This record gives sequence, structure tokens and C-alpha cells, in this order.
Amino acid sequence: MPSPNISVADPIPAKAGIGLRFQHHQSVLETRPDVSWMEVHTENYMGGGAALRYLDAIRRDTPISLHGVGLSLGSAEGIDPAHLERIRKVAERVEPGLMSEHIAWNVVGGTYLADLLPLPMTEEALEVVCRHVDQTQSHLKRRILVENPSTYIAFGNSIIPEWEFMTAVAARTGCGILCDVNNICVSAHNHGWDASAYIAALPPDAIGEIHLAGHSIKTLADGTILRIDDHGSRVSDEVWSLYRQAIARFGAVPTLIEWDNEVPLLEVLLLEARCAGRLIDNSREESSHADAA
Amino acid sequence: MPTLLEMQSAMKASLLHRDSRAISPMLAGDVPTDRLDIYRNTFAHTLTRALRLCFPVTQRLVGEEFFEGAAQIFIGERPPHAAWLDLYGSEFPTFLRSFPPATSITYLGDVAELECAVNGALHAADVAPLDVARLGAIEAEDHARICFVPHPSVRLLRLAYPADVIWRAVLDSDDDALGKVDLGCGPRNILVERRLTGVEVECLDEQAWTFLSKLCAGASIEAALVDSSEFDSSAALAEHLAFGRFATFSLGYIDGRRSGIIK
Repeated sequence: MPSPNISVADPIPAKAGIGLRFQHHQSVLETRPDVSWMEVHTENYMGGGAALRYLDAIRRDTPISLHGVGLSLGSAEGIDPAHLERIRKVAERVEPGLMSEHIAWNVVGGTYLADLLPLPMTEEALEVVCRHVDQTQSHLKRRILVENPSTYIAFGNSIIPEWEFMTAVAARTGCGILCDVNNICVSAHNHGWDASAYIAALPPDAIGEIHLAGHSIKTLADGTILRIDDHGSRVSDEVWSLYRQAIARFGAVPTLIEWDNEVPLLEVLLLEARCAGRLIDNSREESSHADAA
Repeated sequence: MPTLLEMQSAMKASLLHRDSRAISPMLAGDVPTDRLDIYRNTFAHTLTRALRLCFPVTQRLVGEEFFEGAAQIFIGERPPHAAWLDLYGSEFPTFLRSFPPATSITYLGDVAELECAVNGALHAADVAPLDVARLGAIEAEDHARICFVPHPSVRLLRLAYPADVIWRAVLDSDDDALGKVDLGCGPRNILVERRLTGVEVECLDEQAWTFLSKLCAGASIEAALVDSSEFDSSAALAEHLAFGRFATFSLGYIDGRRSGIIK
């Protein structure tokens, strides 16, 4: 629900968008690329100055989604009200079509650990996350989406499968799920899960957005192969294939191309977004054929 | 079973101090420690990048490798408190001043302090500058009692070394200018502010700097006046207003008590 104090300028359409990074501020303004929406990291727009001026100008004709990386929904010590209020202020100015955060944590003892760190899949962690999603939604006076993590380690006391954890957070708090298909692929490889089964276990009604990105493959000293979610390359064939399964199940959903390291030319991002856009169009056609039949 | 807080504290020890004794037994199976390295690397990489963005000239003065080494130690000692990293590193200049391998570069801390001010001005909140027309509503007899609130982008520094000259020379890759820097030229009074065109760094003379410093600290115009025949306070004030160096003002009492801010 749109809130009385944070208005939504434009909703995010069920089409492909791109992550907007500082490197592309100028070229986006100059070339006005044909892209349905863009997403920015909330934490990069908490001050004032040039970054905000660019975003103010870009959002005049492009719907914007705000994606936070630092609220630390999984912090045992609680979320920082000052950070939550900074997020609210950015939203007040940007009037985003969607707002999202992560199923992760990065603050303990008042220290920000600058990564999206994994949670043990326990009832305690689930309660902590749900409490903080409630707190966030009530402070922002709107629904948020929460993103499934990519992880490299697991905890001995984890008892809830991650897809059930995600489903439970959405069911208990009314928040939506940002399904990061690349993260599912990365974690499935790293932990020996079945990525397709993960997607099949998520509740379609809760899915509000999909993320696609590239990842790398690293061989560790002991010979094990690890997938690293580094957002530094094109979306892999395997992730495209999982994406087809995802939209076949979830329907057309706003889909974002993320690229954060070794950020390429804007044209490359737009090409990736066009690929996603075509798959969304195909899925629409297939579902309308299915309806007709 | 460890509590969530115990796990998170153990993870912090592993990331900040490379001490994985507490976290290892909490992990599933026999997790090789290089899996923890992935998180540790992201943590270090993200914060080092934030410092690089804030201190590009400092980095060029000491070289990439030295900078990274100093950053690693600093990050371990003074990690950030929140994910808003634009302003991370405000303690880095002080750290560098007492960092033994850097003490031979006497001016390094001053250059870092200047860069910190530039970065602060760059990211300062967007606040409309004081509309000069609002001052017109104040009776002439009350002008002396006006106390200003500085614009959030304004920073005033007093540095022992000509950090502004060094900073500009490095940014311009001007080796000539860098070679001519006179480290013994005496203290520098610096004004940093963000204008529409970008962040400006200006060196003020003693009286201009003192006047503006007092005004920015909340002194009334009368209290800030500089007693000198060589300094034109009215002209200086007009310039400050024209450049939008104040956000708002209040009327203070002559005896030092202050009234509320006038909206």
C-alpha cells in the first residue's frame, strides 16, 4: 500500500530494468536509454549533492526502485533506528516504486561489517527478521521486499530450509520476496541444493521482483569449487534457464540486471535487460496461449 | 546451540581480527576457512574502496600499496558504525598523523584532513541557502544581533602545512607546482564549500577566516566583527550571503542569550 507520507511516483512495471550506478549517471541523462525502470542502492543517496541531483533528474521519466544493503534485518541486537530513518528520508525524496532489503545481517556491537552476512536458519533468526521487517514496514508505512541471500557457509544449528525461511518471512509479515535467481544458483551449487526445487517452493503471490546477475567460479585450496556472487559479469546460461522457470511459475515480474564490479558500458547492461525483457514477453505469450487452450 | 548474538559476535571476531576460533565450531560440517575469507575480503575491499574514494590525493602521495596497508590497519581499528559509507574515514587523518610509517611525510595528515572536508562538502545534505530577502525584514538596529547557521557543506580548517597547494598540484598532476611547495609557509586557513559548480577549496587570510569561523560557530554579527582597518566585514558578509554559506539565522541578544531560530 502506498503510504500517506512516502508517495510512489511511478510503480515499477513487470518489465526488465537495470541497476543504476554512478558510472552511468551522465550517459543515462544524455542518452535517455529505452529502459522501463532502474534500481539504486539506497545507501548511495543518503547525503546530498551531485548524486541526488542526477537521481532527481533521471527519476522524472524513469520509475526508481530503492534497494538497501545496510539495514541488517537479521541483527540480533536490533536494527539501527537512525539508519531506518535515513532510508525513510531517501524514500521521501525519491518516491520509489519498490523498496527492498536482504535476508542477511551486517551489524553487531554497533559495527557495520560491510557485507551481506549469512543467518543461521533457525526459529530465533526467523523471529528476529520478522520483528525487523514489521518495524521497517511500519516506519516506512509501506510494504518492502526481502531478497534471498547468496551464501558460502552454513551453520550447524540451521534447521529450516532457506526457501521455507523466505516463505515464512513473507507469510508472517506480509512483505514480498525479491527472488534473486543468481543467488539461488550460487547457493544451490555451494550447498548442494536443487535450484529448480527452490524456485518451485517459493510462493508465487509473494514474488515482487527478480534479480539477475553474473557470478564467478573459484577453486579453493582444498579443490572444492565455490560460486562467488560478485555481480561482475554477464548472466550465465544456467541462471537464464532458471529465470525461465521462475517466470513460468511467478508470471511476469519486474526483473533487474545487477552489475556492481567492473561495471561495463551502459549498452551492455541494456542488452542484458533486453534479453530478460524478451523472456518476459515470451512467458506472457505462452501463458495467454495456455489460457486460450 | 549458540544464540544469534553469539554467532554474530564470533563472526565479527573472524572478519575484524582474523580470529575464527569462536565461529568455526558453529559452522556446518568441516568448512574450510577460505570460505570465511570471501566475507573477509568483501568487508576489507568495500571499506578500502570507500577510503580510496574519500582520499585519492593521500593515496597518490603514499602510493597504492602503502595506502592499502594503512587502510587495512585503520579498518581493523576503526570500522564503520553504519552502512552509510559516504562519510566513512573521518578519523583516518588523525590515524595517519600517528601512524609511525607515515610520520616522515609531515603534511600527510593535513592533506587527508582537507580531503575529508572536501568529501564531507561533496556529500553534505541539500539545504537551500538563506534567502537574503529574509534579512530585509530585520530592523536595522537588530542587524548586529543576527546569528547565522552555516550551510551544511561549509567546512573551515586551519592546517599547519599548505595542504591545499599540495592537493591541487597532485590533482592537476602538476609536478612543477608540487616541487615549488614551501612547507614552511606557515599555517593555512581554508574554506571548503560546495557550490552548484562543485566543491571549492579556498585559502582565506587570517581576518577573513576568523570572521567567518565566528559566524559559523553561531556568534552574532557584532560579536564576530574583526577590529581592523584592513578588513571590510560588510563586504565579506555580502560575499558569504551571495555564495549561500548560511542556511538560516536567528536573533541573539547582545548579552549572549539567544532567541529561537526565525522560520
